[in-house]
Amino acid sequence: MIDPYYLQQLVIGLSLGLTYALIAIGFTLIFGVLNVVNFAHSEIYTIGAFTGLLLITAFAPPLLAVVFVVLAVGALAGFGLERLAFKPFRRFSDEASLKSRAMRESTLMSSLAVSIIVREALTLAFGSQFQQVPLAYLINQPIRLGPVTIVRGDIIILVVAALMLGGLQYLLTRTRIGLSIRAVSDNHMGAKYAGINTDRTIIMTFALGSMMGAAAGILVGLYYGAIFPAMGFEPSIKAFVAMVMGGLVSIPGAVITALILGVSESMATTFVSSVWSDMVAYSFLILTLVFFPQGLFGKGRERV
Amino acid sequence: MSLLEIDNASRYFDGLAAVADVSLAVEKGELIGLIGPNGAGKTTLFNLISGFTPPSAGAIRFAGRTITGRKPHAIARLGMARTFQNLRIFPNMSVFDNASVGATGIVGQPAWNAVFGTRSRAERISERSWAALERTGLAAMAGELAANLSYGKRKYLEIARALAMEPDLLVLDEPAAGLNDSETAELAAFIRDLNATGMTIMLVEHDMTLVMGICRRIVVLASGRKIADGTPDAVRQDPAVLEAYLGTGDDDDYS
Amino acid sequence: MSDSLAKRAGAPAALIGLVLVVVPSVLAYYDKGYFYQLATLSLIYALLASSLHLVTGAAGLLHLGQAAFYGVGAYVAALAGVHYGIPFILGVPLAGIGAALAAVLVALPTMRLVSIYFAVATLAIGEMVYLVLLNWVGLTGGPNGVVMFSGIDLFGYDLGTRLGAYFAVAITVSVSIWVIHRLTHSYYGNALRALREDDQCTDAMGIDTIRLKVGVFAISAFFAGVAGALWAYTTGYISPEDFSFSASILILAMVVVGGLGSLPGAIIGALLLILLPEALRGIGNLRNITVGITMLSVIIFLPRGLMGEVSALHFFRSRFASAWPGSGTRKVGWR
Repeated sequence: MIDPYYLQQLVIGLSLGLTYALIAIGFTLIFGVLNVVNFAHSEIYTIGAFTGLLLITAFAPPLLAVVFVVLAVGALAGFGLERLAFKPFRRFSDEASLKSRAMRESTLMSSLAVSIIVREALTLAFGSQFQQVPLAYLINQPIRLGPVTIVRGDIIILVVAALMLGGLQYLLTRTRIGLSIRAVSDNHMGAKYAGINTDRTIIMTFALGSMMGAAAGILVGLYYGAIFPAMGFEPSIKAFVAMVMGGLVSIPGAVITALILGVSESMATTFVSSVWSDMVAYSFLILTLVFFPQGLFGKGRERV
Repeated sequence: MSLLEIDNASRYFDGLAAVADVSLAVEKGELIGLIGPNGAGKTTLFNLISGFTPPSAGAIRFAGRTITGRKPHAIARLGMARTFQNLRIFPNMSVFDNASVGATGIVGQPAWNAVFGTRSRAERISERSWAALERTGLAAMAGELAANLSYGKRKYLEIARALAMEPDLLVLDEPAAGLNDSETAELAAFIRDLNATGMTIMLVEHDMTLVMGICRRIVVLASGRKIADGTPDAVRQDPAVLEAYLGTGDDDDYS
Repeated sequence: MSDSLAKRAGAPAALIGLVLVVVPSVLAYYDKGYFYQLATLSLIYALLASSLHLVTGAAGLLHLGQAAFYGVGAYVAALAGVHYGIPFILGVPLAGIGAALAAVLVALPTMRLVSIYFAVATLAIGEMVYLVLLNWVGLTGGPNGVVMFSGIDLFGYDLGTRLGAYFAVAITVSVSIWVIHRLTHSYYGNALRALREDDQCTDAMGIDTIRLKVGVFAISAFFAGVAGALWAYTTGYISPEDFSFSASILILAMVVVGGLGSLPGAIIGALLLILLPEALRGIGNLRNITVGITMLSVIIFLPRGLMGEVSALHFFRSRFASAWPGSGTRKVGWR
């Protein structure tokens, strides 16, 4: 029988991994599936959290209402981001330009620049400290499950993640829009010739992925009670690691690797020290990039 | 000892043989044409000998040294230079700078030397580059941006870049692709003159006029295998070659 | 011949004059600590931007972790000074070498990664170094940083004055940038640019691209390390915060704004992104947002950066620019 202390650490790791998975799902949709280098997803996450917080402090609506509004704002923010940082680079719509390394690097830098602007704007507006989160909304009421304890937030995040995952899998494999997304990611010009409105597909994917990112932001923000302008950086790195480890194109793969990452970090905290837990993610990233280019589950990264 | 020896080289991609058991020996001073229908494995063979792809089986020797599986830069330094089917010049650099990359690869320009060294290396690189540009008639455009060159001139630029390497073997991948008849004739004469000065040249081409016109020896590939190797006349009448290009005699419409 | 030689020598001479004569005179006249700080900061970041130019501008390797080597250099100089009493004249090259060695260590496993992945790997490495600087308290003093009392000691002669320190920095930076300029304006630099255009093809030309990439990465890190040492010696106190991801992005933004591929552009970008936010100081700490906005505007509207698009800068372009596309026919060949 495993010592309940270690069991609890495992559960903590899984909870942590779930929060990473939550942000990894939307991230992987845009970056992995659609094949667009998006460094600003972290700020959509943050915008989601701040929007939710503002709503809560202003109107104190039920949590479900908050989530819906955040989803809407997230979609809008994603749309704005796409128009601002990505559309300008598709002005040359020939094959070579669309696939070129130069374009990928340009969008990396443009989305990076947008992310800096948003983060700094939030810092100027709200200060860089943790914001006050009303106690009633913190979803950390504990629940005992035999030898281990989880919190209400874990259940919520689990349910939301499952919904997102299931919803996306259905969307990508069973619907026309999902087909368009996969077509555009595989061959942008080819999809265009086949009559797919590639612009609209990209916008929709951004909106969808950003919705999920924003929802992740408010949920994780309430889970830890930590909402501050720079909150998106770390989780995004973790999401990126999960995505690459999961093989880039596989959303379920990213979820699994996110869980693995969470558990590994928790183990590192338990057996080594908490300050080095971030090293786990970075080490996994380097190891994956160098030794497992195809990821653990996916078809590899000849793409991007 | 031949300049280039290909011994039973094969290259498989996911089980499909792009090149299957090809053997070939190229002697110094030859002008060889490599032809075959599309997908015959010609460019793959070029990638094998220039180090872009390692062979799945077989061995390749160049200038007496085994080069199987060696990196492109090592093979280039041994004296092999190539051009590319899809024209890979450096568009954002000047014509002169393009040519000098070839020379820099062979002569070498280490960082320390670039900052503190004497000018001798730089001078050698410059000399080679100018010579190559003059040989290809591009010297007057040396300062021009490569992207501004016409298609035909870009082809010569790629050749100039290869010539700046002062290679023992020049490998040309479809040099006449996209050129009109008069340009092709000019190019044919250019290649023949180059060969006359002693440079060993191997080229892949679809333009039969050029290949039959200047090559003294032709090798035919089909479905990854070598099916003929001889003089232009012999190859022209070889039934295996005709079959590969035109299909079997079953289609009466084409007989 | 002598006329064009004078023309060619004229511009660099004017720059040297500016940095070593005009600016110090102005600094000495006003004698304000803030101005000295600003001048030193500008020089240090000009060097950082120039170092990144080699890797990202010339060789085209998108590098998001230059602050790591900046930090390694600073800590090497600081710790060597504090624990072993190593003076400025030795500490600076030592810092550079330390950073270069760290770079080689980092480069070897990651050199085969293709562009975006290499970029993310550099980001990860930058963060890992930052974490080590922050948490290996035994070695680095952790978040408390390292305090240096020693100041700049040149062969036993203590350059106690701020003006003396400025000259030490200015001369070091000038020499370093001169070296970087020589590298860029040579067939080595040409090979780097070929690497950026098409690295596989460059390999086929006989250039060992892996060795070239590792080499340029190490050289770039060397100069970032030198910049770090200068920072340590002039501010007397370093902490991990100076070397975070934000610093890496700031340096990248300088190179992008000035124009990828242009050394004078990188320097102009550095001056712009250091001095502009200072000029706007009245409105608040606007450095970071200025960086973001400038970077975004440049990428979208002036994709070739200031040097590539702004005709007013043509003067610099014609005097210093190496292989700037669109500079038309110019003197051909490298020294």
